[in-house]
Amino acid sequence: MNTQAKIKKETKRKIKADFERAPLAERLKAKYLNSFFYKKLLVAVFRFVLLLGISYVILYPFASKILQSVFSPSDLIQTDVLLVSKNPTIDTYRYLITENGYFEALLNTAILSLVCAFLQTFICAFIGYGFAKFKFKGNGAVFVLVLFTLLVPHKVIASSLVQHFVNFDLFGILGNTLYKWVGWETGIHGTYAPFVLMSLTGLGFKNGLFILIMRQFYRGIPDELEEASYVDGYGVFKTFFRILLPCSVPMLITVFVLSFSWQWTDIFYTNLFLPNSDTVLLTSNAFWASMPSTLKDVSASLLEGNITATNSFSAIVMNTAGMLVVAPLVVLYLFCQRYLIQGIEHSGFGGV
Amino acid sequence: MNNTVETKKKRKRASLNERKALKGWIFVLPFIIGMIAVYIPVIIESISYSLADYRVIPAIQGGGYTLSWVGFDNFEKVFSLVIDSKTGETFLEMMFTNLLQQVIDIVAILMLSLFIAVLLNQKMIGRAAFRAIFFIPVVVGAGIMTKIDATSAEVLSTASGMLEEIDTGSVAGGGLGGIASMMDISALFSNLGFGSELVKIVSDLVANIVNIVNRSGVQMLILLDGLKSISPSIYESCQVEGASAWEIFWKITLPMLSPMILANAIYTVVDAFTSESNAVMNHIIGDAGAISPDPVQSAKAWLYFAVVALCLLLVVGICSTFVFYQRRNDK
Repeated sequence: MNTQAKIKKETKRKIKADFERAPLAERLKAKYLNSFFYKKLLVAVFRFVLLLGISYVILYPFASKILQSVFSPSDLIQTDVLLVSKNPTIDTYRYLITENGYFEALLNTAILSLVCAFLQTFICAFIGYGFAKFKFKGNGAVFVLVLFTLLVPHKVIASSLVQHFVNFDLFGILGNTLYKWVGWETGIHGTYAPFVLMSLTGLGFKNGLFILIMRQFYRGIPDELEEASYVDGYGVFKTFFRILLPCSVPMLITVFVLSFSWQWTDIFYTNLFLPNSDTVLLTSNAFWASMPSTLKDVSASLLEGNITATNSFSAIVMNTAGMLVVAPLVVLYLFCQRYLIQGIEHSGFGGV
Repeated sequence: MNNTVETKKKRKRASLNERKALKGWIFVLPFIIGMIAVYIPVIIESISYSLADYRVIPAIQGGGYTLSWVGFDNFEKVFSLVIDSKTGETFLEMMFTNLLQQVIDIVAILMLSLFIAVLLNQKMIGRAAFRAIFFIPVVVGAGIMTKIDATSAEVLSTASGMLEEIDTGSVAGGGLGGIASMMDISALFSNLGFGSELVKIVSDLVANIVNIVNRSGVQMLILLDGLKSISPSIYESCQVEGASAWEIFWKITLPMLSPMILANAIYTVVDAFTSESNAVMNHIIGDAGAISPDPVQSAKAWLYFAVVALCLLLVVGICSTFVFYQRRNDK
């Protein structure tokens, strides 16, 4: 073995030495003037251009919205302005932040998303572990229910869900007296409680998918690990918390990032459970679908009568608000993307 | 003697399993509580709305509402429901046009994600950067971007004519302004002698490319995982036997990826039919406030769900005949 490796190394060195002894022109000829190299180059260029093109498709909406976010109303009446502003201004940002209460909304959304993401990550790992490693009767049947929750569109059950939370009464344990005592007039509807409740029971936004991912992951972990832990005297729960949870950190980060970002951009549930409430979120209409009054006045005075330009300006303001909503997420993504991609790549999704 | 030993052993093992099974129930308990306390009542309530007549009792008479059983009347109403009085388009027609459109989109998403995943799996300059860009839609969520675009398009459409100064596509952000005009594409393909139907499908796809790329992020991740799990020794032996790259793709990569493609197909179907950008979903939720339940709306929703479930079964049925599972002898 050792001698073989030595011979190989010697031959390699010899070939290299021969190659380097040849004149430069001949060396370049041998390296680049052959069909193998041409083919490789062609494929590489084609691939690069294609990927660049699709990256453009993905990035263009962001780029155009960011470029247009510095437009002032006067840019809209000029015929030669398309993407780059002539009179750039940060007024759009300024008034969105001050008048629409960006930071307050940011804080509210961050708190809600963090709470939901933590709960969902932990609960889905917990439930997924139960499905993966215990062969109890009805395991399959309950798992079909998980897939069912994934399949039923949220909008189908939206009105019933709201009704349910307005009159929420868990088997008579939480009566109206309790609500009155706490001060919630419409049950728990209009508070964060429905989100917490749905996260705690694995029913949150796309939680079926997270349970599925965690189940696939834990199925891929060999049983011997747990058996060793049982032999050493750990119980089932201690094994889960001390051994398996630390094992699954990359996967947990993946689920956390996904649930955090999907909760962050979720418009449907937030508008369903928190309609016109005092807590302004980034996704509530009060923030991102309403025009700050100063900007309205400015555009009205500058673009008087020009309806198309006025509308374009409100579209630009709205797009800017949208960018402000997703900006923190993109920053988060750039920090976490290594873990995210690693985690999903090792999920063992293939066994679905 | 032998017998007794065996039965003893069996009983002991069973009880251990039983004890373990009980703990399994505890792990799944949160989900089951959620099912019993929230989900199943909600589902039953929603189905019962679709089969009943809903009447609000005025507040003077005590408030609340009554439900009276009317059988499938609501569904019959949905079947004959005309949603667009100008064109006379019925709900069913809209649903099936949408279905057809979604099928084309789903096929496109599956093919694109496979193609891109294979490309991203190769070693090249800037692979990490490309990967980071391609998975942005997974995190940001195509949902909110389409919502932003839809809202600003709504604002723009209230104006009589579109702006000439600003490309409408670039303000609305959805379209790709001047990347390729549809006229060029249709002209190119009709000159090549394809049927007009095919030309329409292709030009629709090109117009829809933003949407399709944004919706195929998760699928790419799943396929990348699959590509990683194919053993390099299989490729090596193929190369030794003299297979070309083309043959290797069709004979090795595709069959080995087929379970992931099935998973992708399921995910894509579910995502396509239940996403917020789906026109039918928007219609179902759009014509009634979220708070007050509407029997016809419920009936629509459940009819749509039945169609989606049927589609999913069909897709799973078709795909699983082509899926290849590698038999693993190890372990």
